[in-house]
Amino acid sequence: MKLIQRTYLHTLKWLIPVMLIGSVFCFYMIEYIAHEETDEFLTYEKVRLMEYYDANQSLPDFHKVADLYETDKPIQTYFRDTLLLEPLDNELVPHRELHFTLQHKDKYFHIVLRHLMLGSDDILEGTIMIVAGVMLLMAIVIALILRNITGRIWRPFYNTITQLNQHQLQQPVPTFSSGGIDEFESLNKSLTDILGKIERDFTNHREFTENTSHELQTHLALIRNNTEALINQIEDKNPEEVAHLQKIYTAVNDLTQAQKSLNLLTKISNHEFQQNESIDFKETIVQSLDKFDEMVKMRSIRVDKKLAQSTHDIDKGLADILINNLLKNAVKHNIEGGFIEIELKPNVLVITNSGQSFQKNPDELMNRFTKGRDGNMGIGLSIVKQICDRYQYKITYTISPNKIHRTEIHFS
Amino acid sequence: MKILLVEDNHKLSEGIVQALMNEDFVCEAVYDFQSAEEKIALYQYDVMIIDINLPDGSGLNLIKKAKEFQSEAGIIVISARNSLDNKIEGLDLGADDYLTKPFDLAELIARVKSIMRRRKFEGSNLVEFESISIDLRQHTVSINNNAVNLTKSEFDILLFFISNTNRVLTKESIAEHIYGDNMDMADSFDFIYSHIKNLRKKMINAGGANYIKAVYGIGYKMSAAE
Repeated sequence: MKLIQRTYLHTLKWLIPVMLIGSVFCFYMIEYIAHEETDEFLTYEKVRLMEYYDANQSLPDFHKVADLYETDKPIQTYFRDTLLLEPLDNELVPHRELHFTLQHKDKYFHIVLRHLMLGSDDILEGTIMIVAGVMLLMAIVIALILRNITGRIWRPFYNTITQLNQHQLQQPVPTFSSGGIDEFESLNKSLTDILGKIERDFTNHREFTENTSHELQTHLALIRNNTEALINQIEDKNPEEVAHLQKIYTAVNDLTQAQKSLNLLTKISNHEFQQNESIDFKETIVQSLDKFDEMVKMRSIRVDKKLAQSTHDIDKGLADILINNLLKNAVKHNIEGGFIEIELKPNVLVITNSGQSFQKNPDELMNRFTKGRDGNMGIGLSIVKQICDRYQYKITYTISPNKIHRTEIHFS
Repeated sequence: MKILLVEDNHKLSEGIVQALMNEDFVCEAVYDFQSAEEKIALYQYDVMIIDINLPDGSGLNLIKKAKEFQSEAGIIVISARNSLDNKIEGLDLGADDYLTKPFDLAELIARVKSIMRRRKFEGSNLVEFESISIDLRQHTVSINNNAVNLTKSEFDILLFFISNTNRVLTKESIAEHIYGDNMDMADSFDFIYSHIKNLRKKMINAGGANYIKAVYGIGYKMSAAE
């Protein structure tokens, strides 16, 4: 839900109690004012009546006197509420009465002045109309103001988000604008700090990889070359020592391989391969198959291929590695006299091959260093996975119970 | 045969020099850009082996210098950076070959010899060992004048052996020589084994001796028949 919508909802929610309290207040206010006004009117009427009497010693022809009767002693002036039947509506209508006495010669007259009052239902009706009107007006005004102001106030925020989305590592950290708002200012500051830290970590990590790569490889070369020299020196003289050397030599080679693969994985995830060009996977597959031709023949593996053109934007080096590793996997884990089927359509590549059974979840094969049957640590498929992730290709690896391996890549 | 080795790691350099001298090459070693530059300006070499990462400069610039001095030396670049860009740049500048550390000395020797052959005979050449004779231009092999029909891998393996006679070639270095990065080491040993088995059989059938001997657990060695 958008922030502005939530703001509207909350505002509306709070408007309801305000409206209720406002209505009660409004109701009593109107009632009070109506009372006051009626009392005031009746008082003026009384004063006018008395003045006329003082001047003329009689009552005017037209007056508001509702009742007039003789009484034996003067009474205190008082107001009274009463209900009278209105014959036209046939309902009881509230009235206000003013009772007072007038002395004429030796007699006292009790005079009642009466005036129609606003009924509760009228006041209620009025109250509802006023409150509803005000509420409607307020709702419209609030909506307009919020909409107008939100757009302006939140602009720096949306700008920041756009800048963040466009930001790539190894580009200068963008300068965010806050529009002078403290909260955005602090958000932008945190973002700038975090981006700076990410950038530094990335650079450190990259330098670390490069340095270890350089240092390791030079010393690996040293160990390898010296082991080789030693092997040559004592080759036929001492078989036991040669066996030790053999172990050292193999270990150095395994380490070299692991280091190379890990390095490659790091480089892919660091986005160090950026030179995308239009690559036809059909050609890549044909070239790659060529390299495995001899092994395929030696193990009497039947290769069926159905290749259509399938062109995608990808770094050439990575495309080669992707296809090479997939085919290597299909050849390597195949069986004597097995088969490999390669089907390439414009948007999907399916490689099916005979192979060995795998007890665990095939997805685990795409993790780094999953232990295989012979204790070998595989990293080829995790490189494939990493490349697929990098280009948002969808990859699935399944092994059917009859030991048919099937790799599917959907190019996006 | 004079070789210039430019490698800043002294220990590594010593090992390489030793291996090259065992093959009867004359080898001079320098450890930085500055002295390499002087050597290139003053002397002629047949092959230069240049490390890209030097303490005081890039080996790639040394290739440029060599070309400026119109050196006719063949150039092999060695680098710890397994970077494709470096490789392409090096080859573009006129290097003849590229090796990534760590490499086998046998591999380096094979590459040096390959460059030597190309320089010396300008492409048309015959390599001979005992009764074997290889025509590199025609890609044909004959033993006692009997033509031997070899597959591409068998041919490559034979040439690798002949470039490193009397030297133990490990299964790993043979696999790397033939398949490069295309195959994981351990998986290719079976293939290497069958290739060598076939190669031996073909050589013996053509009247040659069993020149390739297995060195138990490690690899193979080619030497003259006893």
